[in-house]
Amino acid sequence: MTTRRLSLRIGQYLLVLLLAVGLNFALPRAMPGGPLATLGGEDVGLLGAEEREQLLAEYDLDRPLPEQFGRYLAGVATGDLGTSFVDRRPVSERLLARLPWTLLLVGSSLVLTTVLGVAVGAWAAARRERRRDTGTIIGVLAIDAAPPFWVGMLLIAGFGVQLGWLPTFGAVTPGGPGGFGDVLAHLVLPVATLTLAGFAQTALVTRSSMLSVLGSEPLFVARAKGVPRRRLIGHHALRTAALPVHTLVLLEMGWLIGGAVVVETVFSYPGVGRLLFEAVLARDFPVMQGAFLLLTVTVIAANLLADLTYPLLDPRVRHPVEVTQ
Amino acid sequence: MSSSADGRLRRALHTSRRSGPAAIVGVMIVAAFLVVVIAGDWLAPFTATERAGIPYQPPDAVHRLGTDDVGRDLYSQLVLGARTSLAIGAGVALLSIAVGTLVGGVAGLSRGAVDTIAMRTVDVVLSLPFLPLLVVAAAFLGRGLTTQILLISALTWARPARLVRAAVLSASGRGHVQAATTLGAGTWWLLTRHLSFSVAPLLVPLVVRAAMGAILLEASLSFLGLGDPQRASWGTMLYWANVRAAVLTDAWLWWVLPPGIAIATLVVGLGLIGLAWEERLNPALAGGRRRAA
Repeated sequence: MTTRRLSLRIGQYLLVLLLAVGLNFALPRAMPGGPLATLGGEDVGLLGAEEREQLLAEYDLDRPLPEQFGRYLAGVATGDLGTSFVDRRPVSERLLARLPWTLLLVGSSLVLTTVLGVAVGAWAAARRERRRDTGTIIGVLAIDAAPPFWVGMLLIAGFGVQLGWLPTFGAVTPGGPGGFGDVLAHLVLPVATLTLAGFAQTALVTRSSMLSVLGSEPLFVARAKGVPRRRLIGHHALRTAALPVHTLVLLEMGWLIGGAVVVETVFSYPGVGRLLFEAVLARDFPVMQGAFLLLTVTVIAANLLADLTYPLLDPRVRHPVEVTQ
Repeated sequence: MSSSADGRLRRALHTSRRSGPAAIVGVMIVAAFLVVVIAGDWLAPFTATERAGIPYQPPDAVHRLGTDDVGRDLYSQLVLGARTSLAIGAGVALLSIAVGTLVGGVAGLSRGAVDTIAMRTVDVVLSLPFLPLLVVAAAFLGRGLTTQILLISALTWARPARLVRAAVLSASGRGHVQAATTLGAGTWWLLTRHLSFSVAPLLVPLVVRAAMGAILLEASLSFLGLGDPQRASWGTMLYWANVRAAVLTDAWLWWVLPPGIAIATLVVGLGLIGLAWEERLNPALAGGRRRAA
């Protein structure tokens, strides 16, 4: 990726961030009943006129809107996301305590989705050379149609409750020995849920990308000169076909983050998504907004990483040649 | 970069040749759900919100799927939940595709600065994590059916807009359209006489896919406790099942399994229709063997 393209991309990400912060700023102010109800907590109705004034001043609500937004932006930029209604702790502190678990969950799922998706997609493409594969497409359709939280609940009922093989609650055994094995055991079902729900898209993209590469001229030549089939698919085709799969990260990350919210909820996994759900239950608006912002930043960071690593995969981008079209 | 992923996803879905039976199955599934929507008042013995029996009852003759934690009839909730899902699906599909077509069409026709601004907006919207944003917006703005349709549409118009724009651009490049342009045809003439014929058929799979996405998003939102409390919803059934830990007992068989099967079946039915239509649109891509294969 050239510097120009990269700076355009970063500009776009900054816009996304600005939009996310802008939405966070606008939503409480657009709410019926005014912003005080959600900014000040539940007991605002009981306050006297003077205390209301005080509260308005505390949240800068007595100032003109542009100035409010400026102050709000400055606050967010320094990591001030407000205080939680529930325990009066800073929102950023609560979020950061939860972030590692979400990163662990989404990161492992992303790796597994990609590995499984590419393997299944390549297999389906290689197989399609001989026969039609309506079955694959309908299978993918069915997997995509099952809501991830429902799949999670079924996994809990099956592997957790009926078979009793795996823990279904939290990230570590409370009061237990802890350690790597414990964390891993707790990770299995949530990751399996997200991976089951997510790998189908990767498989579809890999398959379609593989099919177009397998039909291309370089592969035709490779076949003609007698490259063995295994090497043809594994080396010649898969490497070229990996490019669109890599760009899929953009779509997949946003999706996995959304999936993480419901999956963490099902498994009571102590990540940012579960915190979002707890905030909804407790009507803890600052935490909700903070979680949304943090998840947006996570998606953007993953996309940026994808942008930066793209040249490693595609030599044409690494050494750009001016092509007149 | 995501435009190529989009295109590939789209192309990946036009495949297999044997879509005839699949389409029929899809239409039958969706028709069955429509019957349930229309006949819901006869099929459901109770309303979705009334306390019709003792809490946590297993299935019997009166409560075919038992009752939930406050004694509401689960079978009635399942039947009436079809209305919510189909209303959300239809509402979002119409609204988001209308907006998407408008934005994508205007961008494709006008090119230049308008195009750039529209497409950058599309990129920005697509980079937001939908579900967390929906959760926050629904928490602030309310959880009624209309609000949900508006919120989900506000996030899902962007991808169709990009696809419509691409279709308009590719249609404008075709010989007869270029000939008409050279002869001095205005935008309106091109739109009504030429472009609409190649772009309009594309809208059917877009509408279907928007409906599928909306049904799943509503289910997720309701599962997080942000469903319309006045309406039965499959997501809300699963929300209570999860909060009351129904999976720890046999209740998962009648409380968890049915709503999930309903969601998945409806979405698969829609997906089969969309798949079949896409193949009709582009039989070349539906072919079995490729040249070099």
